Amino acid sequence: MRLRLIEADGLSWKLLLEPHGRSGAENMALDAALLDRADCMGEAFLRLYRFDPPCLSLGRNEPTARYDRSAIARLALDVVRRPTGGCAVWHEHEVTYAVAAPIATFGGLREAYRAIHTRLSAALQSLGVDATLALARPRLPSPAFHRPGPCFATPVGGEVLVAGRKLVGSAQVRKRNAFLQHGSILLDGSQEIVSLVSRGSSVVSRETTLSSELRRHVSFDEVADAIVAAWDAGATSTPSLLDLAPLAAAVKS
Amino acid sequence: MANIPTDLRYTAEHEYVKQTGDTAIVQVGITDYAQGELGDVVYVDLPKVGAALQRGAAFGTIEAVKAVSELYAPASGTVTEVNQALEGDPALVNRDPYGAGWMIKLRVKSPPELDALLSSDAYKKKIGQ
Repeated sequence: MRLRLIEADGLSWKLLLEPHGRSGAENMALDAALLDRADCMGEAFLRLYRFDPPCLSLGRNEPTARYDRSAIARLALDVVRRPTGGCAVWHEHEVTYAVAAPIATFGGLREAYRAIHTRLSAALQSLGVDATLALARPRLPSPAFHRPGPCFATPVGGEVLVAGRKLVGSAQVRKRNAFLQHGSILLDGSQEIVSLVSRGSSVVSRETTLSSELRRHVSFDEVADAIVAAWDAGATSTPSLLDLAPLAAAVKS
Repeated sequence: MANIPTDLRYTAEHEYVKQTGDTAIVQVGITDYAQGELGDVVYVDLPKVGAALQRGAAFGTIEAVKAVSELYAPASGTVTEVNQALEGDPALVNRDPYGAGWMIKLRVKSPPELDALLSSDAYKKKIGQ
């Protein structure tokens, strides 16, 4: 893994750009490790990554009884529990992002959602997508939470929408000094697999993808470049490259 | 404006402490300000009765708006009661944070620890109210 430093928001962001995918367990362990670093050492990270193999992630508090284990086994899905809240996400054709930073960077829960999604919106707009943010006051998530269904079924305040459909699904975990927000920016495909492995009636997903919006293939790299450029907007120094292999090795061990 | 009762004590992490009929046992929950900031609560994860808590350590989590936040013990002690009603209706935390939305009751190991908590005025100052 390699990382780049950007001075913005009054701190040094470490941008981790991962060229290859990792398993769900490894990805979540890395995100959790970044949160610990942010919490204990005040560091700030933006990580852009992907899943290999594709993976079904469940929200931290979602009941497992909501999902059909035999269907998951039959489809041989990689499944992981996220440290963050929210509902299930199918990670296949996407750019996954993680932001781990001190609480003071953006302030409260909604402020952080809005600040990060504003940057993601700017990145997506630079690609030609008419991305907007959902209304600041969140829609009630309770019905969606208590019924099985994909994360993309229900937008909350500050999330990224295109024509009312979610293009980015995000979730957070907050500790005393730091928070982790991670999420999926959909390149292509669908969240249908979440419904396929859900028990009972599930909430209908209302996602869109970059490929369907732009009517062309959109690559991981071009979205990652656009996000880095959005983070660079507040940069005050020339980025440099560093090796973050020790952190990845620590997570693996 | 959030309701911050004058007869309660507070932590910097937005928990409140309320005295019960037993002077050694306090009721703990999150403040009206905290529930307003979090939004609609969908899940509360609390310790079991009998759990030993350390002051300042995380004792549970609360989920709202797809965010999981940690809850911090205002004092060291032993959990004597857990609000089971939150399992079926976590939104009680939003509707009545100081009443039906309480989280745990704690037998405080060293009552003088409570003196270090914030007064309502100090907590109001912290939240800019």
